[in-house]
Amino acid sequence: MMESLSGLVSEVMVRGQFIVLLYFLGVNGWYLTLLVSSLLEMRRHMLVIANESRYLLLSSTLSPTISILAPAFNEEATIEGSLRALLALQYPRLEVIVISEQRIKTKPVRNLYRSSTYPALVVVDKENGGKADALNVGLSFAGSELVCAMDADTLIEADGLQRMVRPFLYSTDVVATGGTIRVVNGSEVRFGRVIRIRVPTNPLAGIQVVEYLRAFLFGRLGWNRLGGNIIISGAFGLFRRESVLNAGGYLHDTVGEDMELVLRLKRLSYEQPGPGKIAFVPDSVAWTEVPESTRVLGRQRDRWHRGLADVLWRHRSMLFNPRYGVTGLVVLPYYVFVELLAPVVELAGLASLVLGLAFGIVDWSFAALFFLTAYGLGTALTAFTLIIEDLSFHRYDTFRDRAMLFWWALVENLGYRQMTVYWRLRGLWKFLRGRKDWGAMERKGFKPLAAPTARA
Amino acid sequence: MVNEAVLDVVMLVEIALLGLAAGVYFSHGLWLFVTQKRTLEEMTAARGSLARLLTRGTINLEEIEALRRMRRGVQAAAFLEISRTQTGTGKDKLRFVAAEVSLLDRARKLCESRRWTRRLRGARLLAGMDVADPIVEKLFSDPHPAVRAQAAEWAAAHPSPTVITAMLKMLADPATQARFAVQDALLRMGDIIAEPLAAFLETHSGAPAEAGLRVAGALAETRFLPAALRLSAADEAGVRVAAAKLLGGIGSAASAERLTELLKDSDSRVRAAAANGLGRMQHWPAASQLAESLRDSTWHVRRDAALALRAIGAPGTLFLRRALKGDDAFAADMAQQILDLPATATG
Repeated sequence: MMESLSGLVSEVMVRGQFIVLLYFLGVNGWYLTLLVSSLLEMRRHMLVIANESRYLLLSSTLSPTISILAPAFNEEATIEGSLRALLALQYPRLEVIVISEQRIKTKPVRNLYRSSTYPALVVVDKENGGKADALNVGLSFAGSELVCAMDADTLIEADGLQRMVRPFLYSTDVVATGGTIRVVNGSEVRFGRVIRIRVPTNPLAGIQVVEYLRAFLFGRLGWNRLGGNIIISGAFGLFRRESVLNAGGYLHDTVGEDMELVLRLKRLSYEQPGPGKIAFVPDSVAWTEVPESTRVLGRQRDRWHRGLADVLWRHRSMLFNPRYGVTGLVVLPYYVFVELLAPVVELAGLASLVLGLAFGIVDWSFAALFFLTAYGLGTALTAFTLIIEDLSFHRYDTFRDRAMLFWWALVENLGYRQMTVYWRLRGLWKFLRGRKDWGAMERKGFKPLAAPTARA
Repeated sequence: MVNEAVLDVVMLVEIALLGLAAGVYFSHGLWLFVTQKRTLEEMTAARGSLARLLTRGTINLEEIEALRRMRRGVQAAAFLEISRTQTGTGKDKLRFVAAEVSLLDRARKLCESRRWTRRLRGARLLAGMDVADPIVEKLFSDPHPAVRAQAAEWAAAHPSPTVITAMLKMLADPATQARFAVQDALLRMGDIIAEPLAAFLETHSGAPAEAGLRVAGALAETRFLPAALRLSAADEAGVRVAAAKLLGGIGSAASAERLTELLKDSDSRVRAAAANGLGRMQHWPAASQLAESLRDSTWHVRRDAALALRAIGAPGTLFLRRALKGDDAFAADMAQQILDLPATATG
């Protein structure tokens, strides 16, 4: 019995190795393409912004107006700092709409407040209906040409909007732009501004710094050049209001409402005339607090993966459909086979390695070598992302921070990555079972919070 | 199974890549540490020299020599930083020293480079230093939109008749980036462009006219009225929208009459702009037509019509309240939304 099982495992491993090899080559080949693309894009971007003066935008009556939509639910710890930062943003024609959601069931919209101190600040007090509902309410109150969707706990850098609005001025085909999200944990925040940037010592937060850098400076920047950006972080994105309204706003019944909207906007641009370009602006930065506990992080990653699965399922008719150009033929297949199914493939790889060891088909030294090889290239790519960051913005400028970043890049694959595989698989499982809950996020708040209370 | 020897090779390649990455990363960090210190010292010295020049009006030869010896990037950054805070004689003095240290010559050479990124740098330097040099005018027809946009930014401070003519011609630029810079440059030139712009609008149509109308909309002078009335009947919806906005800004009886007609336009953006214009003019005789627009099939037309009624004041509010009890649920909903807005809200 054991012999026949061992034979079966051996057979599966021999036959499966070519699929695994092909997958490995395909994925890493694509990562390499993205890396080269992001390097080229960053070089071009840095040349364009060198000695750039943005006073034109600051003082022009032609600058597009922007409404910031900040949904706030369970954000008591960070809302004050975030609001201070929003009100001090260096953009001339700005309106801030905070959508405060309450648990009490009364009316969808209970009240509206406009600050007498800051006339550009509007607070919509409404019953909790989820982030998508809050953003839709904000959209209907917004009066600007562009709307900036963000999380209330996000700290946008003072010149973040000036930088993010540029693609809209450069092309009428741009429908949305996204900026870089960086991790604020460990850094010093005062009056809603990040004044001293440090790499966190907490392992979970530290590794997420590396993850975020990789996702934005490598992934999104690389896709920018290839014309395949379909993700704009829900924490910080700028949209043409008219296009969002024409598309029907955010969907309520998905946990991946930000990606869903962007993909819908992209889809509509193929189906009917109108803007459809999604641009990523690497020098426009917003800071966010990331979870420092495995419980909360697990919930977040599980939700993200459920969101991804849900969005790809909703738009499955675009997959391999030539009508949708690069998006249908390259981008969506990438998201399905590389992003969505990655945890499944990784689990299969790990399981076969364990089974191989159990049945004596592979020895320990081979298993260790296979494990290190499989994760080594990923680590090397992450290290190159750190180089991109250092060559361009070098925000982490002390030796301590550089050493810690490199350290977190090295240890990411030893436990953390396997945990994310588990969370993502859990997300997939929940998606298959039709779960659409968000799970609570807990905020610690920015440190230090030294500011008098705002009157609104 | 995958050969162990293959894994060994892959492993070695990965270790080499990782080693290379670590080497580049930390070496770059070290290089940054050294150069940033040097840059800071050079910038401090340059700021000191230029500040003395501006406050005392003099600069000695050693300081000029020190500025000349600086690395080009730091030198350019120092001059641009100080230049942005100066006008008049202060800027003249800076230009004099910039010429002495060959910064302006280098900028001119950059403007003639075959690479667009260098031409952009050259144009940025000349624009930042406000140097009146015909070489920038050549960049109005540069193949790269970023360079054309930068040249247009320069033009804002040099409004000669030739430059204005070139700017008006550039309103037809196919690149949005360049068009935005041109429109902004024309606006910064001020009243001086009103006459040529009015003449331009009289004779142009399509996209150039739309771009021109946006500039005219910000100036909103009555001399644009004939062109605005003509262009409000253009085939392109974008032109009609821009014309409607201009008419709302001009605010004459003829404008009001035309805007009221545009409330029935086939394009929803034009209808919304017309409603907005009537609200801006607080043209109460159009209140009943605006109330009709509350029943429009498009959301933003209903919204702009409701906001216009609110802007009109008592007669408009009356129509909004009537709509609450009307048979059209969409009109009632919009009226309710606008009536619920705080008193200071602009929508």
